[in-house]
Amino acid sequence: MEQSLYNKYGGFSQVNRIVMAFYDDLLDSDEIGPYFDHVDMKRQIDHQTKFIAFLLGGPAHFAPDHLKRVHDGLRITEAHFDELKVIFRGTLENSNFSPEDVVTVLDLIEYYRNQVVAE
Amino acid sequence: MSIAAINEQLLRAVGVGIAVFTYPELSLQFKNEVFETWFSDDGIAENLPEIFPTLDIDNLFKVIEASDHYATEWSFRKKRRTMAITQMFTRARISGEDVLILECQNITRIRELESMIESYSTMVERNTREIQREKEQVEKLLLNVMPRGVYDEYKNFGVVSPQKYDSVSVMVLDFIGFTKTIDKVAPATLVSELNELFSAFDRIGEQFGCERIRTTGDMYLCVAGMQDASMNHAAAASNAALRFIRYIRRRNENADLSWKCRVGIGTGSVIGSVVGVQKYVYDVFGEAVVTANIARQEAQALEILATQDVINNLNGEPEHEKARSVSAREAGLFSLVST
Repeated sequence: MEQSLYNKYGGFSQVNRIVMAFYDDLLDSDEIGPYFDHVDMKRQIDHQTKFIAFLLGGPAHFAPDHLKRVHDGLRITEAHFDELKVIFRGTLENSNFSPEDVVTVLDLIEYYRNQVVAE
Repeated sequence: MSIAAINEQLLRAVGVGIAVFTYPELSLQFKNEVFETWFSDDGIAENLPEIFPTLDIDNLFKVIEASDHYATEWSFRKKRRTMAITQMFTRARISGEDVLILECQNITRIRELESMIESYSTMVERNTREIQREKEQVEKLLLNVMPRGVYDEYKNFGVVSPQKYDSVSVMVLDFIGFTKTIDKVAPATLVSELNELFSAFDRIGEQFGCERIRTTGDMYLCVAGMQDASMNHAAAASNAALRFIRYIRRRNENADLSWKCRVGIGTGSVIGSVVGVQKYVYDVFGEAVVTANIARQEAQALEILATQDVINNLNGEPEHEKARSVSAREAGLFSLVST
């Protein structure tokens, strides 16, 4: 059986660094940081922890409509989604992800574009 | 540079936020850069209640008066980040005047990490529960194809070694006219009937220490004496068979479908083993299985036929007589009598 990226990059002991780095990068972003101006820290970290673990094939579960539900009403644009991918690319590269694995993860994120971007 | 100047430089340079207030007026006397960045970058607030509007000042006075120290935690938003700061107030006397020293430590990262660990724990706990549920389902399935003792061996060692049981009793049962019933009855009804019958046999067998090994179509095979070598397995299988027949008779009185089973019981040795690699099943082979099958084939509707070896182990109970049919009698079989 193929090893998940979650296990390949050291399980939660390493993935937690990616979660925190991404959290910092998002809040520092002038483009999409304002989306989090009034978001509860616990809720945001909980969501990011589970989403990143889920993306990397870790022990997280996401109901198919969960992403749509949590992003409903936020009016996220295509450009902001693209920016999120740029930020996440940077986070992964800084976390020593190989170029192929960065592409794999970004392709997975792209798969959820329609659930995140406002119609 | 004087000692006082060095001290002040130090206070300004440390990574914790430090401020000094007059006591009990609580006017701001000194703040270092870290404190200013966190709480007072507008420079307007000049006393403690203005800087921390929701701080419980009454409680602060009460605790300071009692112990000179007061600890609390402060949380606020700074550029969309939820900052968490611990505050330690200490009353001190400087140059003959009371002051309140406030020391603030940034524990934002600790709180963020705690939230992440909480989130991760929830994930892992949920996963563990799901794995446990799956494990129980697998266990249930495996217990359907092998006895518990064999399953335990498989679970602990990953393999099941074939085992010879020198003396057990095997009971084999099937239904007369089953092929015709298949043609007459809807598949769902037929399966439901078999489920009900075999489940009842399982319950009755369990009471007598008989363990179902397998069913093949309408044939049901169980063994007594595999798990407990000291039991009277011939009597156990015989009594269970009599209860099977009694159950079928009663069921036939009220059911649309009337079932007529025939039962054979044999005593002797068997070998028990898991057979197959990808699709494995636990099975028993040997003398007792062969003789039980011969007896079953000779049995008439609702009759239990047992071999001489079974009868020899019964100590008279349950009652038995020479088999009714000539071929069965010639084969040395006995019919068990319900009392």
